[in-house]
Amino acid sequence: MALLHVENLRKSFGGLMAVKDLSFHVEPGEIVGLIGPNGAGKSTVFNLIMGILKPDRGQIFFKGQEITHWPTYKIVNAGIARVFQIAQYFPRKTVYENVEISAIPNEIFTRAPDPTPKTLQSCERTGLCEHSSHENHCICREELPGMLPQGGLRRLELARAIGTDPELLLLDEPFAGLSPAEVDEISHLIASLRNEGQTIVLVDHNMRGVMRLVDRIVVLCFGEKIAEGTPEEVARNPQVQEAYLAGGGF
Amino acid sequence: MSSRAVRFSILGTTVIVMAVVAPFLPSKWMTTLTYAQIFAVYAMGWDILSGMTGQISFGHIFFVAVAGYTTGLLNLYVKWPIWATIPLGVMMAVLAGLLFSVPALRLRGPYFSLITLILPLAAARLVIILADWTGGELGKFGVAALCPFPDFKANQYCNYYSLWGVMTGVGLFLVWLSTSRVGKILEAIRENEEAVEAAGINTAKYKIFAFAVSACVVGLGGAFSVHANEAIFFNSLMSLTTSLEMIVASVIGGMGIIVGALWGGFLVRGGEQVIRELAQLKLPIGTEGLALSFLERWATLIFFTLLIILLFFARQGLLPLLAGLFRRRRGEVRGG
Repeated sequence: MALLHVENLRKSFGGLMAVKDLSFHVEPGEIVGLIGPNGAGKSTVFNLIMGILKPDRGQIFFKGQEITHWPTYKIVNAGIARVFQIAQYFPRKTVYENVEISAIPNEIFTRAPDPTPKTLQSCERTGLCEHSSHENHCICREELPGMLPQGGLRRLELARAIGTDPELLLLDEPFAGLSPAEVDEISHLIASLRNEGQTIVLVDHNMRGVMRLVDRIVVLCFGEKIAEGTPEEVARNPQVQEAYLAGGGF
Repeated sequence: MSSRAVRFSILGTTVIVMAVVAPFLPSKWMTTLTYAQIFAVYAMGWDILSGMTGQISFGHIFFVAVAGYTTGLLNLYVKWPIWATIPLGVMMAVLAGLLFSVPALRLRGPYFSLITLILPLAAARLVIILADWTGGELGKFGVAALCPFPDFKANQYCNYYSLWGVMTGVGLFLVWLSTSRVGKILEAIRENEEAVEAAGINTAKYKIFAFAVSACVVGLGGAFSVHANEAIFFNSLMSLTTSLEMIVASVIGGMGIIVGALWGGFLVRGGEQVIRELAQLKLPIGTEGLALSFLERWATLIFFTLLIILLFFARQGLLPLLAGLFRRRRGEVRGG
């Protein structure tokens, strides 16, 4: 059974058809790349999956359960987490406190365990530990997110997403705005998450960057799926080449 | 200012000082501080909702009124004792808070604030319409006293320490709550609500909870104030000025940290009393009339101007400013 199954999803903004009858699925353990030129509707697809936007029609299934009209928090608790293109953090909380929010359960009256170990684990998996900390013992950074470089902010986003224990991770342009060195760091991080068995859907307009990371690629153009397959198959597809040339190349 | 220990020690020091100084206070100041303690309860109650989540309520006096009128009228007409009517008043305030919060929290920013302002205005109308029963703008006397001693001095002490107990209890609970997981979520909602939703938290549920706690605390203060006054005073239970002063107190002391609202509450009420006393100072003969009328007329304006100047230099509020100075000093010592 597919982990995520999107069927005939449609969303328009006024006269603009942002997503047109899109269907795709994601198998457990897979990394799927959702690529397309700017304005192809990639981020809209993520917003629809996360319940931030409501589709005009179509359905979204997660683990066989329909989640189309669920509120965001419920979708997150079901096991989908999203890393935003523009970092969404708490500017007056430290890195530790930022990550901690994801480890706190959605119950007001609860005897749930202390969120500290989970917070530290999220920091450790994303490389947000204090440099001076002891071996085998991670202490999350105590600085404010505003002090972090772009790559650090991306790690923080990943840590906040991982903290919700997702079965499916949606990454929205994880390499946007990063220096070449930071791109390498973050792709190593994504590769290590994949090796841990994390299922990931990755959005990017740059196909070359995601080629070596993904198992399968879905190509969007003007809200429509124009190709699907392994990176090699997709790269050879003439329709894809045309779309990219028309849209400014890749 | 984030640490739980720091907030508890500020709270502890403040309430201990309040408990110890009482016997040395002149009678006038004792009365002022008795009511300042109630006001501090209001300000802390406002802070747990508005200060922490950033949903600014202009109309918290509404919850004072709901609890105050409930306990006062039940006591007056049904003759129930205050140990029954005060909890009923608080329950009514919580109920009103819950009923109101569900539609109100769909609105954000200025729209939310405006809708909260309408509540006490509507409630005041209702009280006037039902004047035969509520006493309208004149209020009602004859409500059972919080402290039924025949001796004035004993009564004053009893009122002071009863309200001190309420303030201390509320302070302990709110400082604990504000530094608990729930407090962390409320703070996070103020900073970035979408990111909290993305962390799997139902922000509406937390905001409604904060609303209920806030209404409960403010209502508790309102219910006690009625019995400390031994009367239902329309002008105090329906005062929009008090409603706005809750915001001023919290902002002056430092928003969203509870102890800031506590200090701000004393600063506002204490400051007003200082200005009043200044206005009544014995001045040299001849200048007396002039100075008196000048001070009396301008006292409040001067006081609020001073508060604005204070805010200008410490936008984050007094307590965070002091904490920052303290930390910098300590940092210098360590560095040197």
